[in-house]
Amino acid sequence: MSVTGRIEEVKSEALRAVAGAGSTAELENARVKYLGRSAELTDIKKSIGKLPPEDRKEVGRVSNVASREIESALASRTKALAAAEREARLREEAVDVTLPGVPYPKGHLHPTLRVIDEVVDFFVGLGYRVAEGPEAETDYYNFTALNIPPGHPARSEHDTFFLDEGLVLRTHTSPVQIRTMLEGEPPVYVVVPGRTYRRDSDPTHTPMFHQIEGLAVDRGLTLAHLKGTLAAMARHVFGEGLKVRLRPGYFQFVEPGVEMDLSCFVCDGTDPNCKVCKGAGWLEMLGAGMVDPAVLEEVGYDPEEYTGFAFGMGPDRMAMVKYGIPDLRMFFEGDLRFLKQF
Amino acid sequence: MRVPLSWLREYVDFDLSTGELVELISLRVQEVDGVSRLGVLEGEVVVGEVVEFGPHPNADRLSVAKVNLGGREVQIVAGAPNPYPGARVPVVLPGSVMADGTKLKKAKLRGLESYGMMMSERELGISQEHTGILLLDDTCEAGSPVEDYFPVGETVLEIDVFPNRPDLWGMIGVARELAALLHTELRIPEPAFGTGGEPTEAYTLRVEAEDLCPRYDLRRVSGVEPGRVAPLEMRRRIFAAGMRPINAVVDATNYVMLETGQPIHVFDAKLVREGIVVRRARSGEEITLLDGSVRTLDEEMLLIADEERGLVIAGVMGAEEAEVGDETTDVLVEVANFDGRNILETSQKLGLRTDASGRFERGLDPNMVGYAMDRVTGLLAEETGGRAAADTLSHYPEPVVPWEVPLRLERAKLLLGMPVEKEEATGILRSLGCEIQGEDGRLVAGVPTFRRDLRREADLIEELGRLMGLDRVPEDLPGVPQPGGLTSGQRKTRLLRRTLADLGLAEAITYPFGPDRWWRDLGLDSHGDVVRLKNPLSQEGSNLRSTLLPGLLDAAARNRAFGLRGGALFEVGRVFLSNAPEDRDASLRFRLTGELPASASASGLMGVQEYPRVGAVLAGILQPAGWNVAERRAGFFEARGLVERLVPGATFEPGGGGFLHPGRRAAVRVDGVEAGWVGELHPEVAGKFGLEGWPAAAFELDAEICEPDPEPRFEAYANVPAVGRDLAVVVDRQVRVGDLLEGVRSLRSPLLKELRVFDVYEGGQVPEGKKSVALSFTFQGEETLTDETVNDEMGRVSGLLEAEFGASVRTS
Repeated sequence: MSVTGRIEEVKSEALRAVAGAGSTAELENARVKYLGRSAELTDIKKSIGKLPPEDRKEVGRVSNVASREIESALASRTKALAAAEREARLREEAVDVTLPGVPYPKGHLHPTLRVIDEVVDFFVGLGYRVAEGPEAETDYYNFTALNIPPGHPARSEHDTFFLDEGLVLRTHTSPVQIRTMLEGEPPVYVVVPGRTYRRDSDPTHTPMFHQIEGLAVDRGLTLAHLKGTLAAMARHVFGEGLKVRLRPGYFQFVEPGVEMDLSCFVCDGTDPNCKVCKGAGWLEMLGAGMVDPAVLEEVGYDPEEYTGFAFGMGPDRMAMVKYGIPDLRMFFEGDLRFLKQF
Repeated sequence: MRVPLSWLREYVDFDLSTGELVELISLRVQEVDGVSRLGVLEGEVVVGEVVEFGPHPNADRLSVAKVNLGGREVQIVAGAPNPYPGARVPVVLPGSVMADGTKLKKAKLRGLESYGMMMSERELGISQEHTGILLLDDTCEAGSPVEDYFPVGETVLEIDVFPNRPDLWGMIGVARELAALLHTELRIPEPAFGTGGEPTEAYTLRVEAEDLCPRYDLRRVSGVEPGRVAPLEMRRRIFAAGMRPINAVVDATNYVMLETGQPIHVFDAKLVREGIVVRRARSGEEITLLDGSVRTLDEEMLLIADEERGLVIAGVMGAEEAEVGDETTDVLVEVANFDGRNILETSQKLGLRTDASGRFERGLDPNMVGYAMDRVTGLLAEETGGRAAADTLSHYPEPVVPWEVPLRLERAKLLLGMPVEKEEATGILRSLGCEIQGEDGRLVAGVPTFRRDLRREADLIEELGRLMGLDRVPEDLPGVPQPGGLTSGQRKTRLLRRTLADLGLAEAITYPFGPDRWWRDLGLDSHGDVVRLKNPLSQEGSNLRSTLLPGLLDAAARNRAFGLRGGALFEVGRVFLSNAPEDRDASLRFRLTGELPASASASGLMGVQEYPRVGAVLAGILQPAGWNVAERRAGFFEARGLVERLVPGATFEPGGGGFLHPGRRAAVRVDGVEAGWVGELHPEVAGKFGLEGWPAAAFELDAEICEPDPEPRFEAYANVPAVGRDLAVVVDRQVRVGDLLEGVRSLRSPLLKELRVFDVYEGGQVPEGKKSVALSFTFQGEETLTDETVNDEMGRVSGLLEAEFGASVRTS
């Protein structure tokens, strides 16, 4: 058989081997066998010089072509096999995606403080500042300066916790109004969130609860400003489009005094069995009013020049309504079954 | 105030459903807390004439009657034995609905048909009486509706009266509001009575405590027929308004009180010795009250006495001594005005609040006394046959007259934020009883003395707003001329809370009140600076917390009791320490009057200091094992990790309270300042707080020192690769890793970018008494580091560790 014939034979054999290789390892074996240092084709190429001159060119060409074809077949087979093997490996690596992920911690903010943060953010957006004051408060700031002098019947309704003489646990956040006004001149726009205390304990009252007090004193403030501001706040917290209504209210340090109701954000008064508004269609939201001129005078503001409005709301109750919590006492028990829901 | 609507109609006409009335009063006057119903809600109640009455053949306790309903006779089974043939009784017919919502049906009781029911006073809402069937007057005609004689059903509004509106504690006051709202007429009953009774002046009246008793009127009514029962309609109204009918005399006084808001007291004149003295009680003076209790009085309490003994704690409750009874024929009627504050104080000191004291304490109108006296005299004359004396003893040295309050319509418009027209304003104030003068937007209101709350312009403007309707006030927003925002402290508090929540803790709010046990069980001194409550709800809450820890521990223990396996709670809140001021007098003045001496600081005079704290308790299993993660339990390093997150740059040295595990606790300092503590709970303390056997760790920090997100500062970095090296050293067991790290850092290598402990190991190949500490170093310079440079740095580290800590470098 001629050399070229043998080359063609080897080539065919090599191409068959490449095509038949089932793994990159078999393919490597084939490469060594047909293109390696001791491969027959390599030997033929090395021995071209010993051939008669007239054959050398043809054998050289044919052997080079054979090498290239084998190399090319090897390359494409390698690629195909690698892809198949990668696929197989990836198939191997598949996980059960229904298994849970690594548990990153998930903590919880108290529902009352969530509401306080929301309300405070609303007022900060309007340009209010946030003021705070002591929880152990003097008799003067908690009562007298707020138009509730000693012996006033309103005092007995506050169920006050007394500390040392002349010191009480504040029964409302209103004393911070006085402290704020004494510190500076109008205009004043503040909100005051904080803990408050009354000596009362039953399913709807806890001896500690929260209030958010607000105070605005400026030239030309009216009951309409109060209504607009508080309506916008209520809609921010409970939902756009809700209606508000004012009713007469009594707080010693405002005149006129009002209470504000919010239309039920669940049923809007359409469900007589509504669990949230109990069929009333309205939810009691807060107490407010125009700052009593006596209070302005007490802190040295001229009530002829300035008017103002003040409001107080109960974020605990707001949270009960917003999140559907049935019992106020749950708020302060530190029960994780409760806290983990928020 | 309970307002029976049928009674209200005596004074004012209205054509509103109950719902409309409730809404009107709630939106314009005061909140209506509830609506209750008495008697028969719907259906028919007719007069029946008993024809036959006898025992039920099949039941010992039942009777059976044949009753003529006017033209037809029916059989009715009854539970009460008092009817007799010829008696007139109210019969409610089948199909009617009772106040409790039940619908009456034709029934068979023990085999006998019963058509409807004969009714007791309680069933009709007349009184609490339920032992027998109500027997009607013989003039009632069989078959006619009982409604022709008195209402058989009543709707009662429960109005929440503000403390500044004592006038609304009377039916007339409520009617006046309604008449003003409906622009309709108010009808006030005209008292009428003849005189000719025994003279009042047979008795004396001496008011010694004038300051506490602006007015005291006394009138005698004699010839009272003893033991009379008040007329049915009076009893029905009193009962519907929430009081118990008693006898004709007492009921007349209560009726007038409910009508006018003015409490009235009656003495049995025969039991009063010489006359009435209004005086302060003597210290320690005792009095036995109608409710049987013996009260000890003090010198600030006002007493109505005769010349010998106390008869009534003024405005609160009477004694047995001169009380009217079934034999009384001659009475002295007291209608008086007392200082509200004094009545309130007496009532609080005695823990005794009555219908009378609740009214007096709000401060009543002394001019109501005259009307109430005439009204009750008229009723007594009419209902008991008594005859009024021609004279009245009266002590009223300084009569109160109507006062004038100016009102600018411009000012009303400013406060209310809506236009206020003169005509409307005038009409509203007149309907409330004011006399109006003035022009050009400047009015002057003459305020009737029963509206003691209307003293200033703002008070009148409030009346205008509410009667015009607050629904007319538009919604508007003021232009706030300042930037809003949180202070840095407020931002930090928020960040603290959010950070801890992000780290997996749950935010709790606990009561700051605690029992003595808290301090005892923590081994803390509870005497020095703990703030105490004078009137705690219970001993369990008699002190204010000086640390957040015990409240959180109690919560953790409750969680354990509920069956939870563990958890992490935190709280941001204040603790309280007493801080007795040096100058107690100045302190008291400051607390009571706000007066602040120039030399003193307000916080120094408060006497209580509050400190913001953040605290956490980790207890039990924080994170149960998952299929791919190990369980995490509470421990020192879990807690310390949180502290490191909140207080960057904190240092930890053994220390902290005795309530912590002595070997697992640290005082936290930052820049040399004490910031708080962290540690595992002492097992004994854990046991006392219901956490025995559980791992528990906690920390408490000064919230102001925490810096969970310090302001960042850019530092340049080089784009060259970093080089990592590990080094394990063996040191004595006592050597503290923190000191090793501090030592390495003290070299101040400019190339050392990161230093990390990645293993601490004892036992195995490490010799007894030694431990192996493995450190990981990351070096980076401005240019690519050579092995030689890095080796030099590591050499310096090894050298230092060998020299300062006796470390031997472990070769792996």
